[in-house]
Formats: sequence, C-alpha cells, structure tokens
Amino acid sequence: MVMMMAPGGTKEMCRMVLDEGADAVYVGVVGWSRRGSEHELTDDEIHEVIDYADRLGKEVRVVVNTLPSSTEVPMFLDRIAMYASWGAKGFMISDVGCMRLVKEMLPDVAIHTSVGCGITNHRDVQFLSDIGATYVVLPYRLSVGEIAEMKAKTGVGIEVFLFKTPSGGKICPGKCMMSSYFSYRRWLDDNGKDHFFGSASRGGDCLRVCQTNWEFEVDDVAFREGMTIKTNPALWLEELPAYLAAGVDCLKVPGRDRSDILVRDIVRFYRRVLGAIAESDAPNLASFRPELETFRQRWVVERGHRDRRLISEAEREAMRAERAAFRKSARPAAVAQ
Amino acid sequence: MFELSTNVATPKQLRQGDYSAYDALYLGDFSCPDYPKNFSADPDLLAGGVDTVKSQGKKCYLRLYAVPSNHDLPWVRKVAEKALSLPFDAFEVHNLGLLLMLREMGCNKPIHLGVFGNLYTDATARLVKDYGVTRVYPNPELSLKEAIYIRDHTPIEVLTPVHGKIPLVVSETCFIVEHSDKAVEGDCKFSCSQDHWLTRTKGEWSLKDTGRMTLSGSDLCMLEHVEELAAARLSAFYVQSHGEDVGYAARVGEIYRDALTRAFAGEPQGDLSSQLEALKGLAKMGLCNGYYYESAGRRYFGEN
Repeated sequence: MVMMMAPGGTKEMCRMVLDEGADAVYVGVVGWSRRGSEHELTDDEIHEVIDYADRLGKEVRVVVNTLPSSTEVPMFLDRIAMYASWGAKGFMISDVGCMRLVKEMLPDVAIHTSVGCGITNHRDVQFLSDIGATYVVLPYRLSVGEIAEMKAKTGVGIEVFLFKTPSGGKICPGKCMMSSYFSYRRWLDDNGKDHFFGSASRGGDCLRVCQTNWEFEVDDVAFREGMTIKTNPALWLEELPAYLAAGVDCLKVPGRDRSDILVRDIVRFYRRVLGAIAESDAPNLASFRPELETFRQRWVVERGHRDRRLISEAEREAMRAERAAFRKSARPAAVAQ
Repeated sequence: MFELSTNVATPKQLRQGDYSAYDALYLGDFSCPDYPKNFSADPDLLAGGVDTVKSQGKKCYLRLYAVPSNHDLPWVRKVAEKALSLPFDAFEVHNLGLLLMLREMGCNKPIHLGVFGNLYTDATARLVKDYGVTRVYPNPELSLKEAIYIRDHTPIEVLTPVHGKIPLVVSETCFIVEHSDKAVEGDCKFSCSQDHWLTRTKGEWSLKDTGRMTLSGSDLCMLEHVEELAAARLSAFYVQSHGEDVGYAARVGEIYRDALTRAFAGEPQGDLSSQLEALKGLAKMGLCNGYYYESAGRRYFGEN
C-alpha cells in the first residue's frame, strides 16, 4: 500500500491534509528545513500535530533537511531525539553524515533522504540505503523506467513527488547555489543556531532568482531576453499507475509554501485518484484531467506571488549589503578628513 | 609546503596551456561527457594525459562525471577501470554512487570529493573518509572558518579554491543547446566554445554559463588574503579555470605561485596592485570573495 505524504506548512494545513486522507504529514522545523520560517512549525506546534496524527492513527515526518554547520550537528541530533520521543516516526534529512548519526542513535525511525541529496542514479540510492535511508526521494525529472530500475536494484523505499518537469536541466534542488550567490546573510540566534538568509540548503528560502527576467548573451551579443533560467515542475497524473507498478512506496504531495486550501484540495483530489486506481486494473484517469488543470493553474498563480515576493527580498538584501559595504568603506575616509 | 592545482579538460588544452605554475592538474571536465575529447569521458585519452602531466613532474588527478544517470554508469565505470591501471594520483568524484562504485572496484587510489559533493559538515567528511576520500572540496557556501573546522575535526585535507569562477549549478542537459537555434541535442556543434553569459534584465546580476554548468559572474579572488590562508595552515589551493581561455590558468597561476610562495616563507606581500589589475583584466564581471567571509558569494572584501 503506497503511503501518501502531504505537506504541513501550517498547523491548520496539517489538520486539513490528515482529515482529507493523507497517511502522513511532513512538517518543517523553524530554521532547520529548506523553507522560510512562515512555512515551518514551532516545537509546540509540532508536538500538537504529532498528538493529532496519533489520534487518527497517522504519522508525522519531521523535515530537518538543511545542510547544517558542523558546529550545529549536536543541536541537530538533540532536536531529533526530542521529536522522536514525542512520537515522530521519521525524519527528512539532506546531510549524509547526519543521516548516519541519526540511524546510529535511533535505529527504528524512518529516514527519508531529502531532495537536497541530489540523487542521479541507482548507485546513489544504494549508498544512501547503506548508511540508513529508509526512503529515498527521487528528483522530479526521472522516467518511470529509471525509477523501476532504482527500485529493482536496491529494494529501498522509493518516494516520488507528485510533481515533474518536462525535461532535465539545471538540477534543483540539491546542486544549485544561485540564490545565495546574489543574496546571503548569516547570523546566530540566542541559542547558537546558525541562520542563513538566501540559502535553501542552509535553512533559508531559495530566493528564486532563476525566475526573474534574464538576457542570454553569446560572445557579447544578446541572444534571448525575458527568459527564466529554470523550468518549473507541474503536478502530474496519468503516469500514476505506472509509478505504482514500478514499486513506488511513497507519494509526496508538494506545497508546504502554498495556501492551506489549495493543499487541502490537492490531497483530497489525489486520494480520490488513488481510490480509482485501487478499484480497477485499468483505471480511466481522463475524467480527473480537467480538475488537475484547475489545480495547476491555482498552483501557478500562488507560485507567481511567492516568486515575486522572494525576488524582491533578494533585491532588498542586496541593497542592504551594498549600503553596509559603502558605509564601511566610507568610514575610514571620513575619519581621515 | 603547499600544492597549487587547476583543471584541464582535453589533450589540446594540455598541449597548448602553460601549467608551469602548478603542482597538480585535475584532468577532465566533470560537467559534460559530450565535451569533445574530454578526459572524464574517454578512456583512450587517459594514458597520454597522465603521461604528459607526470613527465612535467606534477601530480595528476582524474575527474569523474559529476551527475551520472543510471545509463551513464557503465561508461563511467570503464573510464575508472582504465584509470585504475594508470599512474593517476587520485580520482575526483562528486557523486556518492560513484564513490560506492570505486570502493567496490577495489580502488586503491586516494579519492577527492568534488565541489558538487555537497559537503557541509565534518560528520559528512568522516563518512566519506570511511569510503576512501582523502581530500574534500567543501561546498562553496561554506566560510573559511567552516572549512578549517572540517579539516581539523574530521581530520581531512581540504581543497581551497583561491581564484576563478565559482561553480554554482550543474545540469544534466545543456542549457546552451536548449536555447540555441543551431545546436540540437546529440549534435551540439560545440556551442560552448563561445562565451555565454546570463545577465539580469533589471540590475547587475550576471552568471557565466558553460552549458551544463553555471558559474559565478565574478571571479573568486583571494590574492589579498593569501597570508591568512597560509597562517591557517591550509595547503591545497585550486584555480578554477573551466570555461576560460587557455592563457587564464597560466597568468593566474603565476600570480598565485608567487604570492603563496612569499606567504609560506613568511615574507610580506608588498604592493599587489599590479597583480590585482592583471586579475581584474581577466575577469569580465569583476572579482569576489565567494562565501569565505559569510556574505553573498559575489561580494568582494579587499583593497584595504
């Protein structure tokens, strides 16, 4: 039986997706997941969500998928031990060294690799399985054949997003530092936790700089203009029976940073789709197509709002850094005068 | 005392370039297996390549393809098998699957973890060390302090890039081909031999694109900080010259060889303005310090 795992970007979203049929909900910890804090939960909220899920006989996965600083690793392990003691059944992790440490500390918890691991082949999957991964999440762009090969050769739990890109292209997330190249700031909070604005890998938001307007020049001649650098993935449907036949164990609904209502509706939709697939050897999914198109449109609208906000944040941070650098360079001159 | 290295993708670059400033060369372009005569993708080129480098008294490392899909694994294995029979001093891998594959092949050579190996913590450094890794290239987002912490607490050798554009994104397909009128997948016509830049329509953001890899627009430059690097007992330095003209590695290497030699001898650097001007002349979009000082990668802290 495939597990449907849904996002919990807010406490209300958690309640909604569990009520709508998700088998598990995944929640990010403030400062420790690849999203901004508005889409992460506090410890108290996580505790409440674990209790709520437990009452429904469902599970919570805690997203701690930043690539932490070395000095943060003990704090990282302490937090995981705490969530496990509250009843969290699994964790999403990017840093492979931390993954091994968690498996040694808590051998019975499920470890989901994060997209930050940047898997590209079945030997990657084997490596991650060897060090303790229970489920490996595969990137958006793999074919059914590649997924089936990974399952057949490793036997590890396979998790896929209900999201895919039409082609290959720049590897996102997992092998991209474009956002932090333009806007990045580090600070320590009162507990000694590192925070990194502008780096999704390190717990901030990806500022989506790839989605602004770019010009492409060849040998100093403008060749394309008004283009984005990366294509965006979209929700998918028709291949779902093939994915299940290929051995997919976990379907991951994306959307921690989308609205509660949109995510609720998507979970409700996919629960119905999975029901239709379970009831027939040759399910006709065509009837779901118009509804899927509606969700895709709603998704694009929400993503557009979010991208514009994040790009503006990147611009503001860049200007702040420029002003700070200017003040710093101007200060000695003023003293000299 | 220290090692200065750079990258060389093809036999032609090896023949035409002046690498006298370097102690070691990384052979191959890890980003694109279709790059013509790429050491990383053609086992028949390896014997000649390693022979040439060794005859110059340098160490020779082989870079393996950074993002192999399932269907790439057989040919990457053939490259590795051939290299194991040759006097390469180390492999560089960016992919944990290939690290596992090398171990299963009985690899007895040192392994370096490359820039896309996503190394952020000493915990990960200890893990890959258990798989035979002896040198790591920490993720560019790490500060100098973090890189030094990893070196000391693993312990493991850390490669420190001192100059050149920062690898920011790697791709499975070619961005240039995808956006070209002429080239098509499977027949790229070597379009990346031209200079490709991405510039934000509004503002000053720029990136260099080499097809399957996106690099920083500005050139990382640590010339004004070499004394700090020497004082920190860092010892493996790297000039990133992928996507540059053949003269780039020579000129940059010469400048850093002199500066590092002085720094390790405890001699003052003196006036570096002429060297900095030379480096600026090679950098279309200026200089930066990467993330070494906990700021956005494109910032530059120097010149006082």
